[in-house]
Amino acid sequence: MDTFRKSVSVAAVMALSLALAACGGGDDGASGDDAASGDGAASNGDNTLTVWAWDPAFNIYALEEAEKVYQQDHPDFALEIVETPWDDLQTKLTTLAQSQQLDQLPDIFLMQNNAFQKNVINYPDLVSDYSASGIDFGEFPESVVAYSTVDGKNYGLPFDNGTAITALRTDVLTEAGYTVDDFTDITWSEYITIGEDVLAKTGQPLLTGQAGSSDLIMMMLQSAGASLFDDEGNPTITDNEALLAAIDTYQQLVTTGVLVEVNSWDEYINSIVNSSVAGTINGVWIVGSIQSATDQSGLWDITNLPKLDGVDGATNYSANGGSSWAISSGANAELAADFLGATFAGSTEFYDTILPASGALANWTPAGESDVYAEPQAFFGGDAIFAKVVDFSTQVPSNNTGAYYYEGRDAVSVAITNIINGADPAAALAEAQATVEFAMQ
Amino acid sequence: MTRRFRRLPGYLFLSLAALGSLFPLYFMVVSATNTSQEVLGSKLLPGTHLLENFESLASTQPLGSALWYSAVNAVGTTVLALVITSIAGYGFEVYHTKAKDWLMGLLLLAIMIPFAATMIPLFQMFADFGLVNSSFAVILPFISTPFLILLFRQASRNFPHDIIEAARLDGLRELAIFVRIYVPTMKPTFAAAAVITFMASWNNFLWPKVILVDNAVQTMPMLLSNIRAGYVTDYGMLMLAVLIASLPAMAIFLVLQRSFAEGITGAIK
Amino acid sequence: MSRRTAPTEEAARSAPSPHTKATGRLSRSLGSSSPKFRLAQRRSLTGWTFLIPASLVILCLNFWPMIQAFILSMKTGRGTRLNFAEPLWSNYARLFDDEIFKLTLQTTFIYLIVQVPIMLILALILANLLNDRNLRFKGLWRTAIFLPSAVGLVSYALVFRTMFANDGLVNDILLGFGFIDGPVNWLGQTETARMVIIVGLLWRWTGYNMIFYLAGLQNIDYSTIEAAKIDGANAFQTFWYVTMPQLKPIILLTAIMSTNGTLQLFDESFNLTAGGPANTSMTISHYLYMVSFRNSPNFGYAAAISYVILIIVAVLAAFQIRVGDKRD
Repeated sequence: MDTFRKSVSVAAVMALSLALAACGGGDDGASGDDAASGDGAASNGDNTLTVWAWDPAFNIYALEEAEKVYQQDHPDFALEIVETPWDDLQTKLTTLAQSQQLDQLPDIFLMQNNAFQKNVINYPDLVSDYSASGIDFGEFPESVVAYSTVDGKNYGLPFDNGTAITALRTDVLTEAGYTVDDFTDITWSEYITIGEDVLAKTGQPLLTGQAGSSDLIMMMLQSAGASLFDDEGNPTITDNEALLAAIDTYQQLVTTGVLVEVNSWDEYINSIVNSSVAGTINGVWIVGSIQSATDQSGLWDITNLPKLDGVDGATNYSANGGSSWAISSGANAELAADFLGATFAGSTEFYDTILPASGALANWTPAGESDVYAEPQAFFGGDAIFAKVVDFSTQVPSNNTGAYYYEGRDAVSVAITNIINGADPAAALAEAQATVEFAMQ
Repeated sequence: MTRRFRRLPGYLFLSLAALGSLFPLYFMVVSATNTSQEVLGSKLLPGTHLLENFESLASTQPLGSALWYSAVNAVGTTVLALVITSIAGYGFEVYHTKAKDWLMGLLLLAIMIPFAATMIPLFQMFADFGLVNSSFAVILPFISTPFLILLFRQASRNFPHDIIEAARLDGLRELAIFVRIYVPTMKPTFAAAAVITFMASWNNFLWPKVILVDNAVQTMPMLLSNIRAGYVTDYGMLMLAVLIASLPAMAIFLVLQRSFAEGITGAIK
Repeated sequence: MSRRTAPTEEAARSAPSPHTKATGRLSRSLGSSSPKFRLAQRRSLTGWTFLIPASLVILCLNFWPMIQAFILSMKTGRGTRLNFAEPLWSNYARLFDDEIFKLTLQTTFIYLIVQVPIMLILALILANLLNDRNLRFKGLWRTAIFLPSAVGLVSYALVFRTMFANDGLVNDILLGFGFIDGPVNWLGQTETARMVIIVGLLWRWTGYNMIFYLAGLQNIDYSTIEAAKIDGANAFQTFWYVTMPQLKPIILLTAIMSTNGTLQLFDESFNLTAGGPANTSMTISHYLYMVSFRNSPNFGYAAAISYVILIIVAVLAAFQIRVGDKRD
């Protein structure tokens, strides 16, 4: 009993000292924070910017390189990078905006393209408009800039490229008697025909995707220049010719076995990395995951997407995901815009550095013209895939996202699951539209 | 002979429960020694990549710092929580009145609302007081939960009141009775409360994520979240991080478990 | 510490308490004629001081935000452009038309009704088995069964997701033993997805609840068990008639906590099944998160959802307290 009491008193002392330390740390943190937020809100702490971004291997690495490039002309510049996963970043943004503590925002933050409209429309106080900052947004593909343009104003600088590609295992194709060229500039019905043949001859499906994920269908939709919402923001889920064609195509892919559905992101990656499928269609950022299967080097190549049959405006190009840099409202906007403009929207040297090291692909068109982009990639059989993708990205049609984009995507996902399980497409889509209209009330 | 057989179903049941509990953990441990590809392929045998995984982890994430801050928060929360909730639970039960029952019911309401709903007003409060981004802010909302108070109150039901009476007759003040008689006797309850509070604080994710604005004082769950956020997740490294994150809670349990599971201890003296 | 026996207590009852000097002085100075009443009052006051710190923290840090959330639940709009609704309860009325909400309500109740009783009974059995002083390797069983609770929620969800993948461990084992003909699509079908969540919950939280029962069992006077054994009761009878009633307070605690936890379930729905096929394994809290942080932020509506959860939990808890919270 005595030892117990002794340990209790020891613990109490420890706790008190820890509490004091924590308070001390807290005070420093709080006051330090006040100073920092003062820096953010005003324009002293002159040459430091804080950035929130995720992924040390891509985005953060790119930021560090950009810092170095900018420091060549501005030696006392410093970038403070805070690693924050997207989900958490979104939670923080919403919390800060909703509780109106905007001085806690960093100067710059990365934002998913799909979430741009939602955040800017609902929390206009969150971001700065930098249309007039001197950055030439015309040097980026129109479709990508469209994500972060609200009411004609630019709120985002595109960075991470989300252009969609068809990635294929060339060894499996060869076994079935095909090459990547057979997949270039084709239609979906042609794709399915070839896919069935490959499946029959090699036992490997061409595609893998998460069940209930609307990614693939959204890509098909965008490839035809169609969207879930019209220009006024009204849902266009029913009577959407392109959407019906996309869903029909998806259904065929599943029933013929050309597309294998898996249940989670990890399974999806697994199917690629452990060779149970012969390819995938996704944003070009999937290349990083593909390359993590080091034993498959030299066995892959890429091409553009098949286009939807019988739909007006169908193209072979689309996008999935990607992100852009936003400048927050309390930020040192001039410095931030200048920094971003000089690096992400102005330095080929910068893009040349980051590409080989991290596979981080630009959206900035002039970067694509450099030699580094045209270099053959051993993993992809010596094909200069990056130059290809930059070319693709200029031809991607825009789509409307709007503030209710996530609701729309989720409703379509539900509809897809039901349709695969036998529901009537028109009815399922009508239900999806009703769900979205309800959410918009 | 018959006595042993009688116990056999018990042993069987326990073995099944233990196996079922340990199997996913075994998978986790084994995955920490394999490469990402192998983990995704559900490899069940240990591999040789433990050191590699550890190096990737230590070089890309501030492992030591996150462990330290998680520890500071968890220990601080646990000790403070034990102090104020145990005496509160004791107060609710030993000095029981209808009014106190009513208050207990009211306090219980506080845990019935999802944290996500009260998080933003709470954040606003802390921001108004300039407490954003401090360890203090991480700890404070969790040092008093109706749950712990309820635990101590319920556990005090079986605490014989005549001992308290006797102590009073001996001339002890109320607080002294609490400290010198109640606390040592209720060791099992304190140990159980310590374990669960430590674990809850250690694994707490939503609030630290929101109240900590930069990563200087980030905690282990935030570190785990960072690892999963990349475009390419190294699953072997992730499992190792998960393993490391789980060790302190396991350690606390191992240290304290004797206190609440000794076998029947006999009459309270 | 010796036990004082009856004579002294009688003396205390009949005479003004001379032992506690302070009380004697107090009662004499107040000129009261019933010192025992004053004593009881003073004690009650001390009791209040004991519980003030904890209660104050809760009232400030929990109740104030709760009130604000309630006010919020009467507003409509998006983002920060919130205005009081016409009529004030329109968010709540809207819930009746919300198909997704109704689905999550149903799903969450299924989890509650199936998982909580099984888990508590399992925990009770395990704790009782482990409380046997003659049991060997006690520490081993205890640790093994508790360990699942030590793993973070996100992590265990990841492990389970991998295990229940179409080509995951569980299917491999079942196929190997010949229990099934083809791989089961655990996470892709509504019933099995919900089952995986229930299995996950059982795996993780049984050991946790077992701890409380173990602690509670320590507080039970062994003489009562001995008496039952002497009277000839078998193991089950001893458990049911002697142990259980004394364990009731703790059982009530775990029942309230599990009900609360399951109705507020979030992490498993979010990380394990991501809401399951077409939102069918999604819980109310998960939907709440979606409405607040993923979709176009509608915090008024989110607050209304959270209050619905609160009302349901409160009603169930009140019922459980009514039924189970008896003082001798």
